[in-house]
Amino acid sequence: MRINGRSHLAWGMSAALSFSLAALANANEKPKDPADSVKTETPIKHVIILIGENRGTDHTFGVYKPKGKQQTISNLLSKGIVNEDGSPGPNFALGQQFSVTPQKSFYIGAPAKAKSAYNNAGQMPQPNTNGAPVTQGTTGAPFVPAFLAGLAVLDPSPDFNANTDTILTTGFTGLPSDTLDSRIPGAGVLPNGPFVLQGANISDDDYTGDMTHRFYQAWQQSDCSVANVTKANPTGCLNDLFPFVMATYDLDDSKTPAVQHNFSEGNEMGFYDAEQEQASTLKTLADRFSLSDNFHQSFQGGTGANHFMLGTGDAGFWSDGNGNAITPPANEIANPNPAAGTTNKFTADNNFSNCSDFTQPGVAPIVSYLEALSYRPEPNCATAHYYMLDNTNPGFLPNGFQAPSPGAQAMLPGSPVRTIGDALNEKSITWAYFGGSYNDAVALSNDAVTAGTAATLNSSTALGEAALADPAHSLGVAYCQICNPFQYATSIMGNTAQRTAHIKDTVDLLADIQSDTLPSVSFGKPDGLLDGHPSSSKIDLFEAYVQQVLDALEAHPKLKAETVVFVTWDEAGGYWDSGFIQPIDFFGDGPRIPLLTLSAYSTGGKVNHSYGDHVSLLKFIERNWKLKPLTDRSRDNLPNPKMRGDQPYVPANMPALSDLFDLFDFDHAVNQPFLE
Amino acid sequence: MPATLPTSLRRRTIALCLTFGLASADAFAHAAHAIEFSADIVSRDSAGLAIGSAAKLYVSNHKVRIETPEASAGFLLTDADAGTAYFVRPAQQVFMDAKQSSLLTQIFVPVDAKDPCRRWQAAAGIAGVTNAGGEWRCERINDEFVGDRRAALFHVASAGSASQRWIDSDLEFPIKLLAADGTTIALEHIQIEAQPPSLFELSPGFRKLDPRALIERIKHSDAWVDP
Repeated sequence: MRINGRSHLAWGMSAALSFSLAALANANEKPKDPADSVKTETPIKHVIILIGENRGTDHTFGVYKPKGKQQTISNLLSKGIVNEDGSPGPNFALGQQFSVTPQKSFYIGAPAKAKSAYNNAGQMPQPNTNGAPVTQGTTGAPFVPAFLAGLAVLDPSPDFNANTDTILTTGFTGLPSDTLDSRIPGAGVLPNGPFVLQGANISDDDYTGDMTHRFYQAWQQSDCSVANVTKANPTGCLNDLFPFVMATYDLDDSKTPAVQHNFSEGNEMGFYDAEQEQASTLKTLADRFSLSDNFHQSFQGGTGANHFMLGTGDAGFWSDGNGNAITPPANEIANPNPAAGTTNKFTADNNFSNCSDFTQPGVAPIVSYLEALSYRPEPNCATAHYYMLDNTNPGFLPNGFQAPSPGAQAMLPGSPVRTIGDALNEKSITWAYFGGSYNDAVALSNDAVTAGTAATLNSSTALGEAALADPAHSLGVAYCQICNPFQYATSIMGNTAQRTAHIKDTVDLLADIQSDTLPSVSFGKPDGLLDGHPSSSKIDLFEAYVQQVLDALEAHPKLKAETVVFVTWDEAGGYWDSGFIQPIDFFGDGPRIPLLTLSAYSTGGKVNHSYGDHVSLLKFIERNWKLKPLTDRSRDNLPNPKMRGDQPYVPANMPALSDLFDLFDFDHAVNQPFLE
Repeated sequence: MPATLPTSLRRRTIALCLTFGLASADAFAHAAHAIEFSADIVSRDSAGLAIGSAAKLYVSNHKVRIETPEASAGFLLTDADAGTAYFVRPAQQVFMDAKQSSLLTQIFVPVDAKDPCRRWQAAAGIAGVTNAGGEWRCERINDEFVGDRRAALFHVASAGSASQRWIDSDLEFPIKLLAADGTTIALEHIQIEAQPPSLFELSPGFRKLDPRALIERIKHSDAWVDP
């Protein structure tokens, strides 16, 4: 959905007006565009990376026809899985999903004889309203219109106008919680395969049910085995257990009746139809610039680990806070083996594993698979390191307060893993992470420190309690702590000067653009209401966030001319995808996510097939600013892929990751508006 | 007031309020009389240098309106008789409990110089500060001038924290607070004059918000991590 004007978003940029004005005033005293004085490999002087939440490539661009001449794309439509109207296509069976009979232990490649396709209509787990808002709320999205503006004490912007603003007020389900999502045409009797999120009662402006997206679940959903290897699919990932895993990993069917707490069900199979005006802003950007259809989430599973990889090219691990790996509390260690008597209920769905130890639950199936692949990727698991596989809050609060008992508070101790921020600092290259509602989160953190809860509670809980006590800053709970890879880093968050220089709010991003003081490297993350995450946000809200930033750039042609905006996502959020996956190490890659590359040098509606993931963005930064790989084990050491004509999506030199340079034609600048 | 009260001062000042009785409208209901006035609220460090921008204070009939940069999109409104403290967003016709959004609502309330602790304790109770019900002690030290205004100086202690506060005898209102580290929050440019009633009104159409539903929605996003 295209949004006119900026008013709808302004309240989400949740800092006080005083902050933004101060930022502008201070900015005006600085020299103009310090990035101009830094030598770069290309005409690009500024990189902005905007990161949405939880949308995959087929989910978003599954029905999309490239605009550029002779461009091709790998998606649901091109494979004939669906037709242009979203209905089942001639090759619909390519998307079929399977169930698996009970196995003795965790697996990532189900034995063929144990698998059964969901043959009858409605047999595949069906879409569910899981977590989506039932109705409008006075203080929760979607808002009762009259309450929308006021919620944001929140909104400092004078141009906010609730009467013209709609998308934060629309899209509630009108259905009971955790039930069949009957807004979806055919829900209840959907056939075995993907279904379009479009109909009289559902569109890209509706909240939809969420689904679990965690590490071991994601590996299992991908169904990777060397037994499945073919020339066209040399890694043997079939991606055919998506609804099954969601329906069983939390199902205690050893009891009668069975007990189920998770209602992801079949939501994984939903997709939008870009050719029928769904996610139309994203489509327009793809039409006018470049889209990558072989770009991947770097980590199997969820938000925290993927953002961590984006910032470090590596995985976080449990430490003593001084850089030494130690064993986390027992309740943090995962055991995905099936509980006794259940089909697939994980024994302990926790967040950390020591993947250097074959005997640890869940480890052997993945490592064995990697070792059996033709290119034998290293698991990259250091001895006795328990890696953060799933969402764990950083050991630092947004204000820099360090949790004194990270184990008891379920927060990752201060991380020693080197970040791209550290590398940029060493070369005096400016950078910042701009997180939506960060300023409010700092205020809540200060409250939590004062109240003493910061020292005893998990930071989400502490900030939630602070929000009730300090409603004027309550939107700080929407700031995403785990999305900020630098919030984990002792080198950044443990240093007040570093934190205040580099960790900022969305309002500061807009102010920096306006004052031409944009850092060389910027990461932009909307808050939890605007990030596009299913059930808590909508894809059109993330589109609106992106448009807000692009509108700001549009008003500054010189800055725009030397800036590339990458628009991508943290992960596919559990959505099924039909694309190739290249396992690189124990941690990933995972399914495809879209990458839009917006610059004067990447125009024409092209579709790039080079294999990449989040770390490709690091590689682009490093090459453009002449930096070395972050560490000797980070993924940015991998070579660029050698792509072959007969296998356009499979690197001939796996494992390999693109540095994205082949997305650009730096000899030809085409200046055009971002949006028509 | 600065855009954000210095953390150290904020911590100390909140600590002053760590013990409360129940929030009680009754506690406010005995102010002897009500002089209407306005003033600037200025925070200074121990060297006397102003910290941040001043806030603006308006007082009428036991109602206090504070416009502060830390909540620039609206204003804080306390009503001593009603026992309320709100953050008001007039442009959107909404308001919400101020709670601890600003310390100023806990400091600058009408007080009775004969028993000032009761009013401050009640204000802290309205703010919902934890550890309510503890003992407060307000010990009158002497009378002295703050600028050209006569004031009663009190040593105020609660929950192990202490400050000095000056209460203007005529205004029956605190006009200065001195924290342990030497930081002060004081009224300056006091102008005794009638105040427009509209400054203190909540129009009938205004509606009250509660952040709990917002938090519940956020719990469905990845911004929230359950421990």
